[in-house]
Amino acid sequence: MAGLPAAAGTPRAGAAKLGTWSDHRVERVLGAVACIVLLLVAGMVVFVFVRAWPSFADNGLAWFGSGGNVDQQLIDIFNSPADPDSYVLTLRAWPLLYGTFLTTAGAVFFGLTFALFSAIFIVEFAPERLRKVLEPVVRLLAAVPSVVYGLIGILVIVPWVNGLISQERKESVAYVVQLTGTNISVAVLILTIMITPIMIAIIVDALRAVPRSWTEGAAALGVNRWRVMWTISVRTARPAIVAALVLATARALGEAIMLSMVSGSAGFAPNPIDGITFFFEPTRPLAATIVDNAEGLSVVPLGQTLYAFAAVLLVSSMFLSLGGFLAKQPMRKYGIRP
Amino acid sequence: MKRLNLRAIAGVACVACLAAPAAASAKTTVTMSGSTSIQPLAAQLASSYLKVPGIRSKVSFRLAAGGSDIGINDVARGRVTIGNSSRDPVPGDPDGLVFNKIARDAICLVTHRSNAIANISQETIQAIFSGRVRSWSQVPGASASGPIDLVVRTAASGTQDAFQNIFMGQELRVSPSASVRSSNGLQAQAIRSNPNAIGYASFNFTEGLHSIPYRGVRCSLPNAKSGQYLGSRNFWMVTRGPARGAAKAFIRWIRRSRTANQIISTNWVPLR
Repeated sequence: MAGLPAAAGTPRAGAAKLGTWSDHRVERVLGAVACIVLLLVAGMVVFVFVRAWPSFADNGLAWFGSGGNVDQQLIDIFNSPADPDSYVLTLRAWPLLYGTFLTTAGAVFFGLTFALFSAIFIVEFAPERLRKVLEPVVRLLAAVPSVVYGLIGILVIVPWVNGLISQERKESVAYVVQLTGTNISVAVLILTIMITPIMIAIIVDALRAVPRSWTEGAAALGVNRWRVMWTISVRTARPAIVAALVLATARALGEAIMLSMVSGSAGFAPNPIDGITFFFEPTRPLAATIVDNAEGLSVVPLGQTLYAFAAVLLVSSMFLSLGGFLAKQPMRKYGIRP
Repeated sequence: MKRLNLRAIAGVACVACLAAPAAASAKTTVTMSGSTSIQPLAAQLASSYLKVPGIRSKVSFRLAAGGSDIGINDVARGRVTIGNSSRDPVPGDPDGLVFNKIARDAICLVTHRSNAIANISQETIQAIFSGRVRSWSQVPGASASGPIDLVVRTAASGTQDAFQNIFMGQELRVSPSASVRSSNGLQAQAIRSNPNAIGYASFNFTEGLHSIPYRGVRCSLPNAKSGQYLGSRNFWMVTRGPARGAAKAFIRWIRRSRTANQIISTNWVPLR
């Protein structure tokens, strides 16, 4: 920046004296800001792990296993005696981990399929006038706060789905689990609606960035529009698609409020063997469990348990970023990056 | 997700600031422990008491939970200034304690409007919520049919604790298959949209729901104040001997001031 006056003819020494915003200082200030961010992230990770440690230490690897009812365990942890030596920390978090996996994987699978084809349509096939409406709407949807989706979920979709489940089906499993409008299907549905727009936006940008000469070359050889899209554009845009996937997965993984509202809020592991009933079974992912129990944060052992959930989420999002980075490597040669 | 963690940490930091104000030498620190049901009320009362002109320079608060018995034991041994108890005094309590009543707490049993049960007994409530009875056809007076959907609050909720103490007792537990909600509003919404649901709530969340008369008495504010409604209980601030100094002033402010009365009536039953 300070180079500009120099280029305009001012002697270099004068520019340095000009000074508050000399290159040198700007560099240091920006460097300091960047370091603060790094320190903050590092501090946060350390803080979460230090707080979470007693929960992991008490349970060992069984923490990740199943056994007993996780909601009952959380109640026992909350009601543990005030004496630090007799804290109850027993937890088998499998239903929560499994619930997180189910909702995230389901939403990302449906969302990606939908987003890819929508993006292809917007870029290549949509009439100009429709495209002019579609694109801003998609970008707007990507910015809607999740709690709005949650509200629409419990006010509109949940009562409707509750009516769909037959009395017999509810009665058949009444002694194990309650089937209501809040269940895994609704959670996946709304989560899909929530993460799809951001994927569409990223993939659209990527498909646009494919060099025209490549697609024109293919078209000149007589390839039809669909095959040009599929074999040239989508293939070239793969790194961007992976980036969209990582971003959307991270959002789904960390979604708390909306899932706490519509997922059924029971520490239950839906079982695919149950057939159609499976789709109506409730669950509760990790992030939603944190939100649901935040009231009891002042109870030390419950706080430690909630930090353990946070630590698991942190580690999974780190692995997610790493996985995304590694997956992009072999695609780099002909790829474009967003 | 990272944003969520940051927020959580900021929240914890704030709580820590509130809970442990810098110990100034001229200040009296009023310490409290005890009932988790009273804790949110006590926290709100303390923070608005500090807004009374001139109070902040004299008094600070330190608030912990633990349960009513812990509060009573702590105050009896002089570990805290005030022990919060959401149960009435029993003969086994240590001598020399004074129970100061600050509010009442009442819980209504609620169902969907279409399932207007005329009366419910404690035995029926216990059977339903412990999961022994799972079908509305086994509940006398119910017009709903099919399985019963329990909608309860998280363990950390004061309402859940109150329900447990008033209706379930120490032995029985709420069935683990119950659907858990993190706030009164979400719980009420879940019951409003499901004809098979049953749950519990404080008065101000019973709007649009049917609240079941308990042992023949309607769940209403006057009935709870008069003590006729048996689904209510007292909130006590327990002191060793009559309250003195800052604790006395605080308890008097809770009982007399309009601000305190307003705070109490948000979720609880004021004495006046």
